[in-house]
Amino acid sequence: MLDIDNLHVKLADEDREIIRGLTLSVKPGEVHAIMGPNGSGKSTLSYVLAGREGYEVTQGSVTYKGEDLLALEPDQRAARGVFLAFQYPIEIPGVATMQFLKVALNAQRKARGAKELLTPDFMRLVKDRSAKLGISQDMLKRPVNVGFSGGEKKRAEILQMAVLEPSLCILDETDSGLDIDALRVVADGVNALRSPDRAMVVITHYQRLLDYIVPDHVHVLSKGRIVKSGDRHLALELEEKGYAEFEKEEA
Amino acid sequence: MTTAVARTAAEEAYGGALLPNPRLEDWKWTNLRTLIDRPFPPRRAVEARPADVARLVAASPFAAIAATRLVFVNGRYDAAHSRLANGSVVATKLTGEPILDMNASFADDGAQLSLTGTTDLPVEMVFVATAGEARTIATRNVIEVAAGAAATVIETYLGEGDYLANSVGEYRVGRAARLDRVKAECEGPAALHLSHTQVTLADGANFRDFTLTSGARVSRQNGTCVFAGAGAEAKISGAYLLGGRQHADTRLVVDHAVPRCVSRELFKCVMDDQARGIFQGKVIVRPHAQKTDGKQSSHGLLLSETAEFDAKPELEIFADDVVCGHGATSGDLDHDQLFYLMSRGLPTAEAKSLLIAAFVGEAFDTIAHDGLREALGAFAAGWLTSHRRGN
Repeated sequence: MLDIDNLHVKLADEDREIIRGLTLSVKPGEVHAIMGPNGSGKSTLSYVLAGREGYEVTQGSVTYKGEDLLALEPDQRAARGVFLAFQYPIEIPGVATMQFLKVALNAQRKARGAKELLTPDFMRLVKDRSAKLGISQDMLKRPVNVGFSGGEKKRAEILQMAVLEPSLCILDETDSGLDIDALRVVADGVNALRSPDRAMVVITHYQRLLDYIVPDHVHVLSKGRIVKSGDRHLALELEEKGYAEFEKEEA
Repeated sequence: MTTAVARTAAEEAYGGALLPNPRLEDWKWTNLRTLIDRPFPPRRAVEARPADVARLVAASPFAAIAATRLVFVNGRYDAAHSRLANGSVVATKLTGEPILDMNASFADDGAQLSLTGTTDLPVEMVFVATAGEARTIATRNVIEVAAGAAATVIETYLGEGDYLANSVGEYRVGRAARLDRVKAECEGPAALHLSHTQVTLADGANFRDFTLTSGARVSRQNGTCVFAGAGAEAKISGAYLLGGRQHADTRLVVDHAVPRCVSRELFKCVMDDQARGIFQGKVIVRPHAQKTDGKQSSHGLLLSETAEFDAKPELEIFADDVVCGHGATSGDLDHDQLFYLMSRGLPTAEAKSLLIAAFVGEAFDTIAHDGLREALGAFAAGWLTSHRRGN
């Protein structure tokens, strides 16, 4: 589904290289965890996959469902099923969450040549998905992320994911700022979306999230490249030993 | 200081009356001596084709909403297109300010309304200008809301061709009365629109005001809101939707002359292309106006590198027990917000439209009447569609 080959990325207005030869292959149904210390390039990777401006790919390629992902605009990537759950979800004053979900879903359906969802069907869908995430009707009426607590913002991200039903979910530090109860709700929401034709890339600093979202593969990212890959036990090993060993090896 | 200057052709057409020049602080951004670039003689009769009048009157965003409509065609009351109420020539004259002076000299018609009782049914005054020779059209309206009454009054300005609309409105809101005023300045693209609105609030009055500025190549709108009785409240808001080379200047003076009044001003201004938006807001708190609570904010959203927004907040506070503040911002669309919307599947143009609609929408929230708010929302959506571009 997703093939990243020898990817090199630098900031558009600086010469500093952040991703330095990253290779990763993700198949449908798989959950990959990418772990690494601060500054290892985790968030940059997620932004580059979603198409945020400000980054320059200097070498390598990203292929998604056989297509050059990097040639697509962010909205085209979304319509093809790429979804990034933001580490810091953006506030949009003046746009109600419900309205936002509706225009986003219908924009994606339109881009895929599908008909817009009728309002009653849409309402039913959102009601069902939000109930599972403990999101109130009141929260849906509020402007997107405005005045939401940290936990509410993360739940709202997962709600968007559940409504938009992407094929590739990239979760950027979805556990940050969550207490243990909120973490469980969010993880349940993510697990409910696991399916044989959907892949997930879970980016996290801590192993804690992986107790709830159990990955098939774990990769250690250090200084812009994957320095070690393994199964879920690698995450436990990291929890015990920390990242120091990998950063040393790298140097 | 007097300076000898040659009269412009426009000034000659006005019988030698001088237009304001930019050396006057209040007029520094809107030089009428150059903006009124040709004569617009007053009281020039043009023939209005009935089909044109009907089309223009129907173009009001509120055509389906207003229960009472007073229609003025080229400055004259048009009974045939009006319903339920009468217009009459107003004799009172306000002077002392360029737009008022011009109006005092040239206005022959206008509405005089005395509103009693409480109703949610809006009264609309529609001012249409039909295509014809360049001319000045002046109207003057006096609206009185009786003590304890509640009313919603709309002023709609529409037109086509070359004209200068000069409109003066005097609103007196009685004790514990409520007035919702909505103005839609949707003049024709070649028009100039000069207006002055004077509002006087008695004690305990509640005034909500919204002005949409989207038409005319040049507009200058003066507003004065005087708190004459204690415990009154005024919420004054506005939105600009400007493109091309449009120039819109709003000069607002809120005068807290008595204690315990609340004023809120919120202007959300969108400028595209080479458009220029100006907001000048003065809040005066006079020595005895203790416990005044006044807030003013104006925000410009620039959709192009060549658009401009100028804001001049002024606070003149002579009382010591007051809460007053102002804020002004100007900027382009937020890139993080744009990326967030696009990452959820919205194409660039749609994402921008959504953000612009959300930006001006905050000012629309001042309008209590659902139908009017929706009609203006639809107007804004139409404007965005016609301005939508790919990047």
